[in-house]
Amino acid sequence: MRAGALAYGGCRVLEQVDLDVRPGELLALVGPNGAGKSTLLRALAGLMELDGGQVAVDGRAIGALGARERGRIVSLVEAEGPVPAGMTVAEVVAMGRLPYRAWWRWASGDGDRAAVDVALERLGLVGMASRSFEELSSGERQRVWIALAVAQNATLLLLDEPTSHLDVRHAYDALTLVRTLVADGKGAVVVLHDLNLAAAFADRVALLGARTLLACGSPHEVLEETRLQAAYGIPIAVRHEPDGRVVTFVDVAAR
Amino acid sequence: MLGLQRHRGALTVLAGTFVACLAVMLGGAALGAIAFPFPTVLDALVHPSTTTEVGRILWDLRLARVLLAALVGAALGISGMLLQTMLRNPLVDPYLTGTSAGAACAVAIGIVLGVAYPLLPLLAFVAALATAALVAALARTGAGISTERLILAGVSLSALFGGVVTLVILLAPTQSMTLSILGWLGGSLAGRGWNDLRVASVYALIGAIAAFAFAPALNALRLGDRRARALGLDVDRVQWSIVGAASLLTAAAVSVSGVVGFVGLIVPHVVRRLVGTDARVALPASALVGAIVVVGADTIARTLVPPIELPLGVLVSMVGVPAFIYLAFRRRTA
Repeated sequence: MRAGALAYGGCRVLEQVDLDVRPGELLALVGPNGAGKSTLLRALAGLMELDGGQVAVDGRAIGALGARERGRIVSLVEAEGPVPAGMTVAEVVAMGRLPYRAWWRWASGDGDRAAVDVALERLGLVGMASRSFEELSSGERQRVWIALAVAQNATLLLLDEPTSHLDVRHAYDALTLVRTLVADGKGAVVVLHDLNLAAAFADRVALLGARTLLACGSPHEVLEETRLQAAYGIPIAVRHEPDGRVVTFVDVAAR
Repeated sequence: MLGLQRHRGALTVLAGTFVACLAVMLGGAALGAIAFPFPTVLDALVHPSTTTEVGRILWDLRLARVLLAALVGAALGISGMLLQTMLRNPLVDPYLTGTSAGAACAVAIGIVLGVAYPLLPLLAFVAALATAALVAALARTGAGISTERLILAGVSLSALFGGVVTLVILLAPTQSMTLSILGWLGGSLAGRGWNDLRVASVYALIGAIAAFAFAPALNALRLGDRRARALGLDVDRVQWSIVGAASLLTAAAVSVSGVVGFVGLIVPHVVRRLVGTDARVALPASALVGAIVVVGADTIARTLVPPIELPLGVLVSMVGVPAFIYLAFRRRTA
């Protein structure tokens, strides 16, 4: 994204955003509520018109891509949205293969079925493949949406708060999976509220606040006390461990 | 989306529904003012002839009517399933796009102005499509359709045209005109024949082919518009096409039968229970269940108190609604 400006409901939420996402990289998008993280993700997915600037994939404007081609290049996973009625877990995951078929084709091919099986396997959903999606817990549903993105097999993964409904173990599993996908050469942008998860899993962290991109760089560079306090409005302590890890916590005592 | 082979149970139910539909159609052909035994009907169907009494009644009158009833039911069933799935709203009716209200308004005015009876289906068809186009235009946002605006525009225009129909009935110069309008509003296939079937079936067929072609896209819309868009679906084009197909199907049905309510609203509910929500199975099942309901109702309408024909739409509501409420109630307490 170059000089990206985004408006929501006639109100500018972001301006002057320059952001690169590289193959083989996990970029964590952090910032306070209302900073425009989800809006930015939708713009990166080509699902939202920019109020200024441009989004390009491999040098091509995202708006110039055909819908199916865009679906093969970029996948967006949002936990919020309608709950599909009457669908099994496997059927929801299988929707990830939509960009690989003509819109009128009724049947899926062997490649599609194999991709769905792999996605179910990677997310530990094989045992619940024939369960109704509606009966799942919010955490299980979130894993299904990630599995859909895995089946979609796009070059760039955009995940909006993929761990918000997950327990510690499943959040760890989900982000570990994203890391393995990144290791395969995909790029990933993940909106996270947990700064420690961002520090632990991301190659780079982009911090949004005050209607712009405040900083973008390694967790070491971006997760800095003064900057986080300016963004969130509360004291956040940052510890740099000897082994290189960055740990953050709300400094209640400093309030 | 998985292969259809994973829907084996649903496909078996679909096959059973197909057989049931054929049986109801055969019953509709056999029953009437003069009832024929099934073997006689089958023989007359296999050996088409209008020289015998059975052949004349069957080929000149009943067969066209049974096929028309099946067409009306299938068209309303498919249309209801299309719109309920697209709008993710189980309360949506195919008449939501204003088709029936627009057609009723045009027919009421046409009757008062003395438009010839054979021209009324054409008038109804054009008015139904024009109203659907107006509703779709009002619902348009950017390149796509806003589902909320579609429902609001449809309900508003239907209320407007409903008011005009009431006014026309009150001001109609003769009682026979009033009765004609009320007869059309009550829904009926009386007096319809092969010519009506030929014309309506062309439009219904185009609508049905479009509907079935969009079945995979319709499945994707079940995830929500934004998710479907993220999966590479041209949601705007799909929405316009589905509204177009649903309007064409409903207009074809309304033009020959008048207002037959309830079918397009309830058939999708029954079908979802029978075969699930995959549009690839649910759309053909909606056509079959819709056909069963309307052929069955039309047969009852013309045989219950002969020689009087009961209004088809009224009969469908009076028999179908209690049956549906019973089914829904039984399921809830089971």
